[in-house]
Amino acid sequence: MSYEGTIISQSESPTVRCDYCRHPFPTTDRLVLHKGIEHPQQLNDSEEKAFFSAQADEEDELRTLRLKALGGLVLLYFGLLFMYAIFA
Amino acid sequence: MTLSKQPRDTLAVPRWLYLATGGATIGASALLASFVTDRAFIRYLHNWSLPGPTIDDWWTPIRWIGRSLGIFVLGLAVYLGLTGPQLPTASFTILVTFVVVRAGLPMLTYLGGNVWPALNPWRGIVSLLPAGHRTYPKELARWPAVGGLLLLVWIEVIFPVSTIPSTLSIVILGYSAVTIAGAVLFGPDAWFENADPISVLFRFFGAVAPVKRRDGKLTVKLPGSDLTDSDLITGTSDVAFVIALIWELTYSGFITTQTGAATIEALVSLSNIGVGAVQIRAILIYTLLFVSGYVVFFAAYWYAGVLSRRRTGTYITAKRIAFRFAPSLLAIAAGYHLAHYTGLAVSLSPALGMAIVSPLSPPANPLTLSPPGWFEGLSIAYVLIGHLLAIWAAHATAYELFSSRLVAIRSQYPFIGVMIGYTVISLWILSLPGATPPYLP
Repeated sequence: MSYEGTIISQSESPTVRCDYCRHPFPTTDRLVLHKGIEHPQQLNDSEEKAFFSAQADEEDELRTLRLKALGGLVLLYFGLLFMYAIFA
Repeated sequence: MTLSKQPRDTLAVPRWLYLATGGATIGASALLASFVTDRAFIRYLHNWSLPGPTIDDWWTPIRWIGRSLGIFVLGLAVYLGLTGPQLPTASFTILVTFVVVRAGLPMLTYLGGNVWPALNPWRGIVSLLPAGHRTYPKELARWPAVGGLLLLVWIEVIFPVSTIPSTLSIVILGYSAVTIAGAVLFGPDAWFENADPISVLFRFFGAVAPVKRRDGKLTVKLPGSDLTDSDLITGTSDVAFVIALIWELTYSGFITTQTGAATIEALVSLSNIGVGAVQIRAILIYTLLFVSGYVVFFAAYWYAGVLSRRRTGTYITAKRIAFRFAPSLLAIAAGYHLAHYTGLAVSLSPALGMAIVSPLSPPANPLTLSPPGWFEGLSIAYVLIGHLLAIWAAHATAYELFSSRLVAIRSQYPFIGVMIGYTVISLWILSLPGATPPYLP
């Protein structure tokens, strides 16, 4: 995850950069996660605390996403089941 | 012959339902993949490897024997093509070129490992000559290989290379001349890594393979686990090459169906403006369809990269996102190749055996097997398996590229859309009744 291969255009919102590798991020949450995953050895205490809380938040959102994915799967399954019942 | 008609069964379910099911399989597996959010587990799967024997000491003799064999077969193929029987199923040249190099070796490459560097006859020839008089221009990247691959497929479609052995011999001679000249001029390393379409093809297919040669050792990895490597695709030309692999199989599948033949015939009669022979216009139409379809396939993929960037709000460029996700397409290309060529390889394997046993006087009417009906179902399975592997590779790549797991999942959506599109198109082609491409010699 290097800092090369990124671009910030004029229209995009102000950015935060990683202190260790200068990689830019659109939100602080994503910067905090990046620091925890890419530079775990260099973190100070407050950064570490922020990382764990960001990860917990992320876990919550992932749970919602999983529920949605499950809903999608059920919909797909029954949709196809009915289609087969009617047309095949 | 590679573009020959195959009888195809009619479907028991409506075609749209069959296509929808195929698309839904890909969509469902993408949804399932999104349940796997454990970064450590994904990394573990992709780093899992079984160390094999060290082959460093053996590599040089293996390479010499392999390349000598390659040179011998190349020479024999060219000679027999010009002097031997002019019957496709009895010709050593045609059988070795299409059953071995076009069908069998790529299968061995993506199912096992890449053995081409040890067989490459042209590399064997060049290693005996003084080479490397110029440095390879970096800005050309791998574009010569992309052009070369498209040109080879175009020749395969337009010229009777798979039916007339002497024509094939002339094409092989031409290819050899270009390859040897290029490799002598720029040095074999640079040439076979960047400009030679066949070597690049095998290298890319080798990325899907479970067996790798690394640091002089053979290692076994899970199939497709190297498709997350960031150093596999390093330029736009690499993406273009991968898309070309997918497109050429789609295209040669399409023109050998009744719908494809009807489309060509309709376009040729539409283009009748009173000038030019039918043959010439047909070739133009074939070429136009080939190029425009390729551009559409490429643009669809590239646009997915742009969409992925926009949807996730990341500062990583669309280009770099497209580079990172492109290796996963190799699994799709491998699946298409297997679906397209298994039937050919199986049906002509007895003829190949005969031609190898007695290359100078093969039987005039060798045995050709006709694959059973369930081979059709197998092709559909190959296409789907290739896509499933690609979905997983894309999922793992997204996790490497983005720190936020939510962003990683969201970044895949456009690519999954493109993959569903590719699947539906190739499943559609597999379901169409076969035909011989019109107007071609």
